[in-house]
Amino acid sequence: MKKNYTTGIFLLLLFAAQFVRAQSTFPMNGVSNPLSNYFAITQVSIQCKPGVQLKNASILVRDGKIEAIGTDIMIPKEARIINGKGKYVYASFIDLFSDYGTENGSQPISGRPNFYENNKKGAYAWNDAVKSYQDAASVFKVDEKKSKAMLAAGFGASLTAIPDGIFRGTASLVLTATEHEQKMMLKAKAATQMSFNKGSSKQPYPGSMMGVIALIRQTYLDADWYKQQKEEYLLNLEAINASKNLPVIFESENKLAVLRAAKIAKEFNLNYIIKGNGDEYQRISEIKATGNKLIIPLNFPKPYEVSNPLDALRINLADLKHWEMAPANAAKLHQSNIPFALTMQGCSDAKSFIQNLQKSVLYGLNPDAAIAALTTIPAEWLGMNQQIGSIEKGMLANFFLSNAPIFEADAKIISHFVLGKEYRIEPELSYLLNGHYTSSISNVETHWNIKEKDGKLSGSIIGADTLKLSIQEVQGIYTFMFAEGKNSTSQTRINAWIEKLDSQSNQIVSLKGTAFTSKGETQQFYLKLDSIGVQKIKKENKNLPNIGEVIYPFCEYGNEQIPKASNIIFRGATVWTNEKDSILTETDVAISNGKIIGIGKNLTLANAQIIDAKGKFLTNGIIDEHSHIAIYRGVNECTQNNTAEVRIGDAVNSEDINIYRQLSGGVIACQQLHGSCNPVGGQSSIIKLRWGKAPEEMKISQAAGFIKFALGENVKQSNWGIETDRFPQTRMGVEQVYYDAFIRAREYEAARKANPLLTRKDLEMEAMLEILNKKRFISCHSYVQSEINMLMHVGDSLGFTVNTFTHILEGYKVADKMKKHGASASTFADWWAYKFEVIDAIPQNAGILNAMGVVTAINSDDAEMGRRLNQEAAKIIKYAGISEMDAWKMVTLNPAKMLHLDHQTGSIKVGKDADLVLWSHTPLSIEAKALYTVVDGVIYFDREKDKAYRMKMDLERQRLIQKMIEAKQNGEKTEQKVSELDPDYHCEDFE
Amino acid sequence: MTYLLKITRCIAFVFIGSVCMAQTTIIQNATIHIGNGKLIENGSMVIEKDKIVEVGQNLKNLYKNAKTIDAAGKHIYPGLIAMNNIMGLNEIDAVRATKDYQEHGEFNPNVRSQIAFHTDSKILPTAIYNGVLYTQAVPQGGVISGSSSVLKTKAWNWEDATIRKDDGIHLHWPQVSPNNPKQDELLGLAIQEIEEFFVAASQYQLQTKPKFNARLAAMKDLLNGKVNLYLHVQEAQSIVRSVGFFKQNYPKIKLVLVGAPDAYLLIDFLKNHQIPVVLGNIHRLPSRNAEAIDQPYITPSQLVQAGIKVAISLEGSWEARNLAYLAGTAAAYGLSKEDALKTITLHVAEILEVDKQIGSLEVGKNASFIIAEGDLLDMKTSKLWRAFLDGEELDLKNEQVKLAEKYLQKYQKK
Repeated sequence: MKKNYTTGIFLLLLFAAQFVRAQSTFPMNGVSNPLSNYFAITQVSIQCKPGVQLKNASILVRDGKIEAIGTDIMIPKEARIINGKGKYVYASFIDLFSDYGTENGSQPISGRPNFYENNKKGAYAWNDAVKSYQDAASVFKVDEKKSKAMLAAGFGASLTAIPDGIFRGTASLVLTATEHEQKMMLKAKAATQMSFNKGSSKQPYPGSMMGVIALIRQTYLDADWYKQQKEEYLLNLEAINASKNLPVIFESENKLAVLRAAKIAKEFNLNYIIKGNGDEYQRISEIKATGNKLIIPLNFPKPYEVSNPLDALRINLADLKHWEMAPANAAKLHQSNIPFALTMQGCSDAKSFIQNLQKSVLYGLNPDAAIAALTTIPAEWLGMNQQIGSIEKGMLANFFLSNAPIFEADAKIISHFVLGKEYRIEPELSYLLNGHYTSSISNVETHWNIKEKDGKLSGSIIGADTLKLSIQEVQGIYTFMFAEGKNSTSQTRINAWIEKLDSQSNQIVSLKGTAFTSKGETQQFYLKLDSIGVQKIKKENKNLPNIGEVIYPFCEYGNEQIPKASNIIFRGATVWTNEKDSILTETDVAISNGKIIGIGKNLTLANAQIIDAKGKFLTNGIIDEHSHIAIYRGVNECTQNNTAEVRIGDAVNSEDINIYRQLSGGVIACQQLHGSCNPVGGQSSIIKLRWGKAPEEMKISQAAGFIKFALGENVKQSNWGIETDRFPQTRMGVEQVYYDAFIRAREYEAARKANPLLTRKDLEMEAMLEILNKKRFISCHSYVQSEINMLMHVGDSLGFTVNTFTHILEGYKVADKMKKHGASASTFADWWAYKFEVIDAIPQNAGILNAMGVVTAINSDDAEMGRRLNQEAAKIIKYAGISEMDAWKMVTLNPAKMLHLDHQTGSIKVGKDADLVLWSHTPLSIEAKALYTVVDGVIYFDREKDKAYRMKMDLERQRLIQKMIEAKQNGEKTEQKVSELDPDYHCEDFE
Repeated sequence: MTYLLKITRCIAFVFIGSVCMAQTTIIQNATIHIGNGKLIENGSMVIEKDKIVEVGQNLKNLYKNAKTIDAAGKHIYPGLIAMNNIMGLNEIDAVRATKDYQEHGEFNPNVRSQIAFHTDSKILPTAIYNGVLYTQAVPQGGVISGSSSVLKTKAWNWEDATIRKDDGIHLHWPQVSPNNPKQDELLGLAIQEIEEFFVAASQYQLQTKPKFNARLAAMKDLLNGKVNLYLHVQEAQSIVRSVGFFKQNYPKIKLVLVGAPDAYLLIDFLKNHQIPVVLGNIHRLPSRNAEAIDQPYITPSQLVQAGIKVAISLEGSWEARNLAYLAGTAAAYGLSKEDALKTITLHVAEILEVDKQIGSLEVGKNASFIIAEGDLLDMKTSKLWRAFLDGEELDLKNEQVKLAEKYLQKYQKK
């Protein structure tokens, strides 16, 4: 009888287990039993490394290492030979993003969180999310269950870290087999890992994405300082400095987070390997430009449940499209020459990983690139390519065997070898029994059909009544069982053994045995092969699947091509210039290269698009001084009373549909403000609404730095509804926060000057200092006159001007003082009565401030009102009787002035940015609709095109929904999906 | 009222003691927006005591002795009605002590907004300033939040203020976050609770001498179809489910949908069932990314075009003063101005069943109207010139105007 090769090896290795410990420090129980593990697998196809394949070759393994490979190598006598005919050998995959064996390694602290201090006992730094002292090697434990899954997915090694915290400490490169940990550890400190999630830390800070990034920045600076100083010992910073030369694996949650991580890396001159989330194709050119290496999961979504059309409405276009495009992500990355490795993370099990890997190839990923991304690339990144990642002489014997080339649909990993030890994956049968047989029981013949699926046998007896056969095999002994009639519960049982075997194919030709009827009679049983079962071969579509286009941004109303600036003449408009000439009738405005180049009659311009603006109104676009749109993961870092170090600019979300909605209301720019949780909030970002561009390109370059301050009920947490012990609780305390911070900033400045090395660079103090040095400007959330007055006194006494009071609903009570101080006012038209401090808010406020000569704007603080700011300005005409021009400036030129942008935008003047809106009606009327919104000469909103968009979008949705229904009908499992909507942040949101 | 009748009536007044002159006022030369869709250019409106007695053109000759208000270039509108609002029940959003619109518990059909209506609220005069003369004070929260009443925004006390007491009961159809994996189960349980409550309430009415149960007793008029069931519901699925529930089990109940941002997805359904829709604040963002950017603005016109009775509302108390602009937006997005006006006047009155008294400037109705400098539905021109409630002129100078004047005077003194 011929033994199947795998079983053979398996038996061999039972004895070889001793060998592994031959050199170990472990004492022995009994006599030594040194055995050599020396074997060759012959007649296999070997993928030595990407692009190099040997057919009909052999691989010789001795004591865990590859001794030789080749098509005509000498196999020494003492090596056992295993015939692997028809099998394929691949180097074990390496997963760079794993928590194999370390997932329970974190040690969260219990107890009530503290606002400012780390409750963790020991020589730890202040913030518990900085878990850089964690060491995967010290907690690593072999995990049999997970090992099985990893080996089955082809992964023989993984870079494993403790998945907890922002700084996560060192990661270990381990083998994913189940030998003793000391043997499995290839490199204890192979890399460090980081993320944007604070993990088990219960400390409130950081509470937002921008807070996380601020903490990372400050921690790096602290680590630098730490090297110089001798007064403190901090495990966290000690660890960061000790592991500084290791590769950093940075976990991010989506394509924009990849860009964020890359930006941090650049700022600190580090090379992060960034773990993405599979949507990188949506911002591929920006990601390529970062130059960072990536780790990519193959976590493709299932088709969504869309049978009910009302349910389907809950799914956003981005999710529908991503379902279709996710399998093409890796291919697109490869085509763009972005270096990447693949991880199993995100796949529920080995099967889905292998399927998705095959799917990636089907969607255009070059097979060699796929192999490289799983083997040589990760090995090289860790500097381990002399030991793992390919099948070459001298390397570790880490490889797996599959029944077919791994990228073919039915390919299965049969067996995985780690350090030369075999781990059986597929419960492959030793002998084949699938096919058509004739059975004979006491000379009564029947026809049996026997099938094999995933190593399990089943069959049926063909006849007038087809009877089900249950079949089991244990070590070459077969048992059959079937009912003795269609409705009978009586069973005949058969015990049989192999009589004849086809030695080439391992197919059983005949079985012999005994049948036991339900009545206890015994009869002779004989089973003879008629024909071998034909495996159904799945028809495989080798053509690249059709998938939709990437759109920018990747959501509703995104464009396949980001629009570009062109030459445009608005012909014959009524132009509201916001300049001395005020209103020009039947006037042309020409724009080119993003600038206004002509205002007059009968203008001409080569290659210009002519827009008939007769009877329509052309104005500068609206600027919203107070907006919270397009911010990712939190508008407030509520967790300390001074968070001057956090920057909204770190968390810009270019994919927020509210950007497009603002454009539809004629808005061209906005200040993205931090919320109003704390006296000193974060630094603002000022963006133009360049729909489709990535976050960094939306920011106005050279824009002045701004920072959010806040006063009153929010900062003293009056309405939080919970007990809080954060200082301040009164307006008295608020003043003290300011004086304290500013005076400390001056002291800090002096200390830095005196001793730059030993004075820790403190980003909070730096921001405060910028204010004092007039390099950063305040936009202060404020309501009542006492607090407005107070902050102006703080400014006057310390030598700076409060740039803008925002909201400022009692501004009318101190308009004279504000004028004198030089502050601007950015207010609501008519909000009041929503809390106690706005009880004296009046809709005449803006009019009075304006009349007193204070630069006054109307802002939104709200994505819906933001797109109707022209109407909000119109209210001031009604309530305070101001002129139309004054009202219009409140949403255009005046906010431009307070944001220090009036030299480039805010009015229609030759040389200024072409930030224009063409209105259907007089701009301050409720009828007015923005027909075109132009930013830097680019038409980002076109009301006619918007209709076309909707039709196109609907068609695309329908196409995808039909495709999902088809997938469901083809047997794919579906999942319920409700897309997350972009958050609609306001000042008051705690997030 | 015919021409002749008018004369006789006036003569009759003269006989009684020449009261006709003193008690009759004619407003001349105005653009009159009736509220029922009609518009009278250069029109006149005659009021006597607290009623409208005639509206038309060239009426001056008939009312020579009437007190005349020349409103040339100005616009007359019926007093607006803020439906589904918490004005008078809520003073300052963030101050708990000033909130009187949400009772403890899930099923409170017996709690009544009428008696909590705070006629001295500082918010009411700001609503009047913008033409809101009536409000439906609506309890919020829970499943059944209570019973609403229709009230004037200017009165000495809630008794004076009441136009219609207990006009209907408000039910909030349960909504479970669609992200909740147990959503079907939770929704099922919540709906079952409603079912059980309605069964108990129906049984209660059939009992001859039941033990007093305030909650169940309060359901009587609702079950008999005497007052409305205001069904507060958001999503399309919930609209279909909730309307189906009541139509099948309680066909007598008069349904009014409130909120219903998804109503536009179910136009045929709503038309078939003849259910009026009270839209919530349409100055909002689309509910889904794939919606048209201006879907909330277009919805009123889509529903009106299909023949569905539409009112527009907003819940917030201080926000109520912006009611006219919601209609203005509906007008900018497909409705005619006069049809848009209906959504905050006559249609509201009809749904509340107070259209005999208010809701339009038709003869016999209460003389509650406002005179605006221009188009009331457009912010810029909507400044009120004068306002009348039951024939009595209102003082438009509210505390906010006084504060503005106070500080302007301070600056002028300098």
